[in-house]
Amino acid sequence: MIDTALWIALALFCAAIVLNFYRALVGPSLPDRVLAVDTMYMNSIALIVLFGIWVNNKDYFEAALLIAMLGFVSTIAICKYLLRGDIIE
Amino acid sequence: MLDTIIEGAIAFMLIAGGAFAFIGSLGLTHLKDFYMRLHGPSKTTTLGVGCTLIGSLIYFSREDGPIIQELLITIFAFITAPVSAHMLAKSALHHKLKPDPRTRGNPVELESEKPKHTVEEAPQGDSPLP
Amino acid sequence: MSLPLIVLLPLLGSLVPLLSSNRQRNLNAWSTALLPAIALGIVIAHAPGVVAGEVYHSSMSWVPQLGLDLAFRLDGLSLLFLLLILGIGLLIILYARYYLAPEDSMPRFYAYLMLFMTSMIGIVMADNLLLLWVFWELTSLSSFLLIGYWYQQSEARRGARMALAVTGMGGLAMLAGFLLIGHIVGTYDMQTVLDSRDLIQADPRYLPALLLVLLGAFTKSAQFPFHFWLPHAMAAPTPVSAFLHSATMVKAGVFLLARLHPALAGSQLWLYIVTLTGLVTMIYAAYFALLKYDLKGVLAFSTVSHLGLITMLFGLDSKLAVVAGLFHIINHATFKAALFMSSGIIDHETGTRDIRKLSGLRRSMPMTAALAGLAAASMAGVPLLNGFISKEMMLTETLESGLLGGLAWLIPVLATLGSVLSVAYSLRLIRNVFFGPEAKELPKTPHEAPFPMRLPMLILVGLCIVIGLIPAVIVSGLLDAAARATILAPRPELQLSIWHGFNLPLLMSAIALAGGVGIYTVRRNLFNFQRQFPQRNALMIFEHSVRRLLQWTQVTIDRLENGSLQRYMLWLIVAVLFLTGSGLLDLDQLQGSRQPQPLDGLLLAGAGITILAGLGTAILHRRRLVSLMMLSVVGLMVSLAFARFSAPDLALTQLAVEVVTVILLMLALFFLPQRTPKESSGARVVRDVLLAAGFGGVVASLNYALLTRPMDSISGFFLDNSVSGGGGHNVVNVILVDFRGFDTLGEITVLCIAAIGIYKLLNRLRLFMPSSDSEGRPWSRDLHPMLLATVSQSLLPLALLVSVFIFLRGHNEPGGGFIAGLVTAVALILLYIARGVDWAQQRLSFQYQPIAVTGVAIATLTGLGSWLFGHNFLTSAFGHFSIPYIGEIELATAMLFDLGVYLTVVGATLMILANLGKLTTRHRPSKENEKETV
Repeated sequence: MIDTALWIALALFCAAIVLNFYRALVGPSLPDRVLAVDTMYMNSIALIVLFGIWVNNKDYFEAALLIAMLGFVSTIAICKYLLRGDIIE
Repeated sequence: MLDTIIEGAIAFMLIAGGAFAFIGSLGLTHLKDFYMRLHGPSKTTTLGVGCTLIGSLIYFSREDGPIIQELLITIFAFITAPVSAHMLAKSALHHKLKPDPRTRGNPVELESEKPKHTVEEAPQGDSPLP
Repeated sequence: MSLPLIVLLPLLGSLVPLLSSNRQRNLNAWSTALLPAIALGIVIAHAPGVVAGEVYHSSMSWVPQLGLDLAFRLDGLSLLFLLLILGIGLLIILYARYYLAPEDSMPRFYAYLMLFMTSMIGIVMADNLLLLWVFWELTSLSSFLLIGYWYQQSEARRGARMALAVTGMGGLAMLAGFLLIGHIVGTYDMQTVLDSRDLIQADPRYLPALLLVLLGAFTKSAQFPFHFWLPHAMAAPTPVSAFLHSATMVKAGVFLLARLHPALAGSQLWLYIVTLTGLVTMIYAAYFALLKYDLKGVLAFSTVSHLGLITMLFGLDSKLAVVAGLFHIINHATFKAALFMSSGIIDHETGTRDIRKLSGLRRSMPMTAALAGLAAASMAGVPLLNGFISKEMMLTETLESGLLGGLAWLIPVLATLGSVLSVAYSLRLIRNVFFGPEAKELPKTPHEAPFPMRLPMLILVGLCIVIGLIPAVIVSGLLDAAARATILAPRPELQLSIWHGFNLPLLMSAIALAGGVGIYTVRRNLFNFQRQFPQRNALMIFEHSVRRLLQWTQVTIDRLENGSLQRYMLWLIVAVLFLTGSGLLDLDQLQGSRQPQPLDGLLLAGAGITILAGLGTAILHRRRLVSLMMLSVVGLMVSLAFARFSAPDLALTQLAVEVVTVILLMLALFFLPQRTPKESSGARVVRDVLLAAGFGGVVASLNYALLTRPMDSISGFFLDNSVSGGGGHNVVNVILVDFRGFDTLGEITVLCIAAIGIYKLLNRLRLFMPSSDSEGRPWSRDLHPMLLATVSQSLLPLALLVSVFIFLRGHNEPGGGFIAGLVTAVALILLYIARGVDWAQQRLSFQYQPIAVTGVAIATLTGLGSWLFGHNFLTSAFGHFSIPYIGEIELATAMLFDLGVYLTVVGATLMILANLGKLTTRHRPSKENEKETV
């Protein structure tokens, strides 16, 4: 049961990432692209967690945690750049 | 019996997570303007990822007892997602992205009247870069 | 064994003078003289044994992989040179005590002198070719210091530089020659080399080896055409000249000829090259010695001339010639050192060395005059002095050489001509300086120098006379021993005596004396003759050619390195393309024996996104921010790929580096134009696209070929030994902190240095800040959005917790100091972004440089700590502990090392990012300010 669910979830997240990437490519505005890349980061968290369930290994969670944290910081940095230019002022 | 219920819960969480995230990303692709598109990822995808994490949490807690680490990511994601959305919305407004006519709300930032500037922040026109 | 002591004592002696101050001159001189005097005592203690035919050896292994041993020998040849070096060296120490002016630093002088003495002793005692070379280069270096002792004079600096360049170059050539000999013989051991004469001379590599070794010897001994550095080395203080150019430095070259004589000599090649070089040098330098006005210049050229004489003797194919050469080495050292000392006294007491100004000094300094006169007479070859005997022997040998076949008469004739000139310049030296009317308008009123300054001269001239009168008694044994070592056979029958009866050599000597006087009387004509040639200064020519060489290299480098990054990339990529491409051409087929893994939709989607994002990065590169975002998509996909293929550690690192890079680029992007103009021409785009596609194709094929082939890598070793050897389950981390800990230490040191460099470069930099973005939109007025500020502040403990967690688990689970450091740095940077530099620095009131430096220090100390327990550098010890909620923790010294890594990464990253961020904070130009400043 879990296996089937895992595959369905993997497929859905994968499709989601493809859709995000489409948005990141076409834009049109900069915030659009940032939003798309940020969503890609979010979906990657889930994808990595799913990998972890797939190979039955808890070690993947660190990678997921880092993506969550670092994705946030880079989104914030780009937003700050769009707003103020100088990200550390 | 209990195992089946737990497995069912895990499977449900995983599929629900995938579905939410997919719908969120679909929204990101299909909605008409940025302000609408912002809703999909920041709410739905976050929920989807949260579901997946909970699923994983249950999955790994089955054997070695409760694990809190996935919860940490969930909390993290739920705290940060609104902030990201807030910042993105701010930058969109700052860039004066054109809203779709169906988008409701009329924020001051998008009004076309000349904004009052402090002396310090006055616009420079085509100010050349250094 | 006391042999190493002979080298070691003077080496220690170079530290002794530095202990006392410049003002305690007597103490300084005596304490300096003590250790070489002991060394001389040891040498003399060995002397009877050596004379009796024994050869002492002592050997210690130094760098066995290179065949370099600390091997010393004491045979007759070494003994002869050791007596000269130490004996004259001690006299020089005494002489210099009175020569140096009060403002000259005596400790520095003596330290250099002892260093030089050590290296000379090393040369003559080395029992290993490579060791000999090491000391050889040391003489070049220490003579550079000595010649440049008066570094405030441009002449001294330039002379020293030239001497170093010429002798250093010769030394390198000699090393190449030694390596060739070592390859022929199979060892660098001196005795084996000396015994392998037939083997060496039969080898086709004999010719280059001989030429290279001779190049070394000739540059050192100032043989034509490398003689030009020696006269300019006269800018040194006179005691230095007396030591370097009578007994030591220049004698190193002829010593080498003597030392390798058994192995290299005897061939036609040796005979012609060495003899003719010596002969030409002898005559050429003697002629110029006659023309020089500077007292030391005359002596310098006469030194070159006499070295030519010795070289010629070593070249001749008779055993007696070699003995004559050895004998002349002793004689030349004694009279030339005395003459240099006299010139130093004259310079010291009159203030000038110009022969045209000096005259009639015999009245004011009678003793110096007498001693110098005797020494010069010995140099000229006047009977009853030692120079006469060796010159006589030299003339005899030239008569017997079979060189040049039918033109064999040329050799003795030219040798006689050399002697004639030698007599002439010796006569001129003495007659013009000490005789004639008393000189007027000298810078100082001449008077006799203090007696201790004349004492060394007295001893040396005494030696000249004693050896000249009873040579058989004094030097016979020494010469025997030296000859045995040089020709590896008992000394041929030779009567060391003054009188050999009326024969041809005696006639030639008489001709030399008479001719010398004759030439001296008509020297005016010679000067007039010389005047028609343009004056050429070897120093100027040398420096000019060095400048030309530099210009030429600069032009060549400029042509290759024109500052265009694109061009460097082009060369690099073309080279890689060529090398790897040619390797791929050799493959039968691209796919190896291993079956590729099955492909699924997930991988396809990931690969598709990565490819498209990569393309997007390149195509959109002129819209920088968009391109940057594409790049971060590539980074994300790559780390997902790492995760998918079970390398969570790599995924973590990739992510952390990715984000830090993005932040760094954002900081930099602010100062760059948002869009770059179109720069490349169409042709260039085509070229670049082709190149990139070709490169990508080759690398992809290479990867595919490699991954589909079974491969034995070293990873098995790490997997097997990670737990038992490093005590950690995370092999990546164990490799980083344990197996390859030394690499990591180097890397964090570099990181720290780079960060400090960036910090220093940015320290005072304040850049102009545009007040609107590229589309003319003014910046948002909300400096620090409240929501962001609040949330990031509350996230900070969480983020720090995460980094501690990653750090602690690092040794067994994915993580480690590097990633934890980056996470901490990113967490703090978030604070900077959200609250600004001022706010953050108020609360984080510490500097980042000490953190990074402390990190490196901790890592190094951890490594050193294992020495305390008798282990190798960076050996780790470990034990396991369990902490609730975090899991099993390994507490190992590697952990401490990892802490060092962690601190360095945090410090360095923050140093770079926070300082880049600070660039604009202080003076953000507002409209008002702009107007004021415009």
